[in-house]
Amino acid sequence: MMNSAYRSVHLTASRLINPNPISSSLLHLLPLYSSTHAAPPRSSPLRRRFLATPSSSSFYIPMAAGDDQVPPPESHLLEKQFESFRVQLEESAALREQIRAVVMEIESATRLIQANLLLVHQSRPIPGFHFEAVWLLLVTNNVAVSVDGAEIIEKAKEKIDDLKKFYGRLAEILQKCPGQYYRYHGDWRSETQAVVSQLAFMHWLETGTLLVHAEAEAKLGLNSLEFGLETEDYLTGICFMSNDLPRYVVNRVTAGDYDCPRKVMNFLTDLHAAFRMLNLRNDFLRKKFDSMKYDLRRVEEVYYDVKIRGLISGGDPPPPNVQAQSS
Amino acid sequence: MYENEKRERVVKASRDITMNIKKVIFQVHSKDNKEEVLEKAGKDLEAVREQHFARLMKELQGTDFWKLRRAYSPGVQEYVEDATFYKFGMSGTLCTLDEINSTLLPLSDPSLEPLQINILDYILGLADMTRELMRMAIGRISDGEVKFAQRICQFVRQIHRELLLVVPQMDDSYDMKSKMEVMLQSVIKIENGFTQTN
Repeated sequence: MMNSAYRSVHLTASRLINPNPISSSLLHLLPLYSSTHAAPPRSSPLRRRFLATPSSSSFYIPMAAGDDQVPPPESHLLEKQFESFRVQLEESAALREQIRAVVMEIESATRLIQANLLLVHQSRPIPGFHFEAVWLLLVTNNVAVSVDGAEIIEKAKEKIDDLKKFYGRLAEILQKCPGQYYRYHGDWRSETQAVVSQLAFMHWLETGTLLVHAEAEAKLGLNSLEFGLETEDYLTGICFMSNDLPRYVVNRVTAGDYDCPRKVMNFLTDLHAAFRMLNLRNDFLRKKFDSMKYDLRRVEEVYYDVKIRGLISGGDPPPPNVQAQSS
Repeated sequence: MYENEKRERVVKASRDITMNIKKVIFQVHSKDNKEEVLEKAGKDLEAVREQHFARLMKELQGTDFWKLRRAYSPGVQEYVEDATFYKFGMSGTLCTLDEINSTLLPLSDPSLEPLQINILDYILGLADMTRELMRMAIGRISDGEVKFAQRICQFVRQIHRELLLVVPQMDDSYDMKSKMEVMLQSVIKIENGFTQTN
């Protein structure tokens, strides 16, 4: 029972509220009105299940009088709008579920890398401290044996291929919704930060240098043109890496590697100085950067402690009375 | 209501376990007359098991164990904490869930389903135990028993590492996540303790 005036009003109004190309394509799905005036408004296939009888215009709004009355245009628009919202949001929710599934795999792989890298805290002391090595092995023979640093890194590296695969899958999923990278970015933000942190630590263990952004991106098979590594995620990941360094230094010293504190201290000093050049606003990254200062301070403490005890290599071996000293 | 009364009795039994078992931890920590004290600790553990734990099991007979878990979980966790700590004090090894559960089997009525500690309560209790291990390690370091402290350190490291991979799959892992943070801090405290000994 539609009249043409109502129809044209509706069409115009629809275009006004749905400028978005996606929803206009959705509108395309909803056959608006049949060409004959007499046709009942059983327009939308989606709404069909809501309609009690074919001829009822809308059961949302109670009819005041007469079944000839058409519902006011606004309620129709309202329904249509929310209908289209439902469809859109269902799509984005489904996408999000796919993303979550891949992100969970990323998380799982990262955990394996992390558990592996934790073994560096009990890795064999450097050669030249043979007695300590044997001692440690004897003490721990029931539990975990001291592991070789190089072995640890090799095992961890195997997982990187998995990560590359997962990020590739993520990129594929995101291709389904071009232009919405930042809408969903939060879903993999913290996991990516953790990944960077582990990769950077691994890189540092191997080379003593900082894993740069471009290299991290390449390791994960990402590229900044399509699906890249967010600079802030990279920087936050680096800060997380720095958080683990004091613990590493302490354990290396315990194992007899007295050169480690100096190396780490120099590295962190440079890193901290480089970060200072950034103009960070007061957010999570800023807080992580602030914590780097404490990491540096802790490493410095260990360095001075080792120095005071005359344990720094490169000089003469410490006199016997220093070694016998216990604090 | 019968259900509520039963729940309250279960809570009470759980609390009784907690109250009576804490002394085992102190005994394992003790530095004097270690062997004697440890022996006593073992007997006390057994007593708590046969008296209070058995009581809990009795109260739970006929009810779904998962249904009333919130009522008895704290006591069970505490039991796991103390039993595993005692085992470490005795032998330097981990008391597994199977081992603990096998000690409980004799306590239950053979005709009924035995109460077995579930995996979640075991892990939670184990996490709490690592804090006691940290205190023990620090104590041993200050006593000059560095080797034993090293052993504790490796043990806690290993538990931490194993749990890292397991915890995310746990139900309500929120509690456990904060326990993991505490556990890492315990490991770091022990490690830092060694810097005093060089």
